[in-house]
Amino acid sequence: MKLSTQMVVVLTSVGLLSGSFLAIVGHLTKERIALNKQRETEKAIIQVVPGIVSSQKLYEERDLSVYGGKDAEGNIVGFAIQASGIGFQDKITLMLGTNTSLKKINRLAILDQKETPGLGAKIADSEFFLLYWENKDSSGTITLHKPAVSSPEELLPTEVNTITGATISSEAVLSIVNTSLEQVRKIIKEGKLSSEAQDVN
Amino acid sequence: MSTKSIGQEFTKGLWDENPVFRQLLGLCPTLAVTNAVINGLAMGMATSFVLIFSSLVVSSIKKFIPSQVRIASYVVIIATFVTVADRFLAAFFPPISKSLGPYVPLIVVNCIILGRQEAFSSKNTVGRSLIDALGMSSGFVLAMLILSAIREILGMGTFLGYQVMGQWFEPWIIMILPPGAFITLGILLALALQIERKTKSRK
Amino acid sequence: MELVAIFVTAILINNFVLRYFLGICPFLGVSKKIDSAISMGLAVTFVMTITAAVSWVINHWILIPLKLDYLQIVSFILVIASLVQLVEMFIRKISPPLYEALGIYLPLITTNCAIFFLALMASLRDYSFLESVIFGVGSGLGFTLAIVLMAAIREQLDLADVPEALKGAGIALIVAGIMALAFLGFSGMIK
Repeated sequence: MKLSTQMVVVLTSVGLLSGSFLAIVGHLTKERIALNKQRETEKAIIQVVPGIVSSQKLYEERDLSVYGGKDAEGNIVGFAIQASGIGFQDKITLMLGTNTSLKKINRLAILDQKETPGLGAKIADSEFFLLYWENKDSSGTITLHKPAVSSPEELLPTEVNTITGATISSEAVLSIVNTSLEQVRKIIKEGKLSSEAQDVN
Repeated sequence: MSTKSIGQEFTKGLWDENPVFRQLLGLCPTLAVTNAVINGLAMGMATSFVLIFSSLVVSSIKKFIPSQVRIASYVVIIATFVTVADRFLAAFFPPISKSLGPYVPLIVVNCIILGRQEAFSSKNTVGRSLIDALGMSSGFVLAMLILSAIREILGMGTFLGYQVMGQWFEPWIIMILPPGAFITLGILLALALQIERKTKSRK
Repeated sequence: MELVAIFVTAILINNFVLRYFLGICPFLGVSKKIDSAISMGLAVTFVMTITAAVSWVINHWILIPLKLDYLQIVSFILVIASLVQLVEMFIRKISPPLYEALGIYLPLITTNCAIFFLALMASLRDYSFLESVIFGVGSGLGFTLAIVLMAAIREQLDLADVPEALKGAGIALIVAGIMALAFLGFSGMIK
């Protein structure tokens, strides 16, 4: 066999074998991977919209998704907003649970962050940060209370706590929340919230 | 042809030709995912998987591959197994897949694997290539273990998530950040070199 | 401006070498002299920019529409390998002395984790074509910055009294660690 022919044959066979092998592997793992992702999102939604039995994706764009939390009768009783934005180090992704009028925040959960361990990373900590986000009034703008307080009672309903030594991370979370609330309000006004969008479960 | 015994073929990967400490290969993942022992171990296992299977395949078909296209062929073979490892982790161990992130696909450019195909698997029997791959993998996992243990214990006070340092210990956060990785590896490399020189002068 | 943020972040805040630990092999290997460092850095930047563009096209026009995303790893690495081959032939024709100077490091760009990581990240972060290219240019320049700074420091270090065991990789990594520490100060630059 001529050398150049052999080269082509070898490369093509290696490519084809690799491709088919990967096609099989890809197929076997595809469902599992999608399921994992779905479960992760579901878990976060249930965490921030208490009392729901199912959820549905209502809107999606880059860095912003809106899910509706449904009760047993299928009525939407709250929204779970997944939003991303820039933090101190890298992207922060969070899940915000609100009621249907967007005027009250149930809970906040941090899905992904790469902030400084021991400082900014505390935004994922309930005791230090997330606790202060529970049951907040979001009819207006939420503000950050500086310096940090040690118990939720010391804050106004429209205030959330700062983490000592991690002001920028705390502010980043606030900014993402305020921005996404504004965006969702606009989306609802423009009627873009669809109930035909895919079911989460 | 190699004149080493089977035993030596394996143990050389652990120290004399340790891919990380002596050959200075595969440093990217070594620095990146050794911030916690579980991550270092997982990456070590994934890399071992790719190295062992790639070596097996390359060694088996070495006669058919013309020299001009060997690098391209090795790369495709390696990339295939890396994809398998990546998919496997994402499907069955999602939290680890998330911690290791994009560094698993990066195994494909880990110089250790390509280096071993070029230097060994393409020139030795399947049996020897397997032993070599096992030895190099063990050396790599060992290096990951040492580096991540130092970084996790000093940086968070834990080992595999279990608290090992008492309450009195204030973690050196810097250890889990990039600077800590660079400096720790630098010191370990120097140590390895120093030990090597001392044993040489004694012989 | 989102594009400016991506660009600046890639160079300073999330520097590919000092934050993501990419390109360490060439970083340690070619950073002994400032001239070769600059050449290597620019070659890498060039390959990175084109890789960003080509892999975006392949990803969005072929892989995703045909649901072949599990072929990403294989495709990207083949793109990079071919591009480096082309660049090598190109430099050999245009400037033989440059080709000689870069020597073994040119084909080694293929295994430069930085380029592969770039293609992966642009895909993961779902960047548009323009964003991917800017990301490529920025990361390449960040790599160049790190490697040139390192070369400058090492040229000075050569004249200093370094303990035997630390010479070479040991001291280089420690210097890298200190540089990484300095670059950490850039965090939070972009709001």
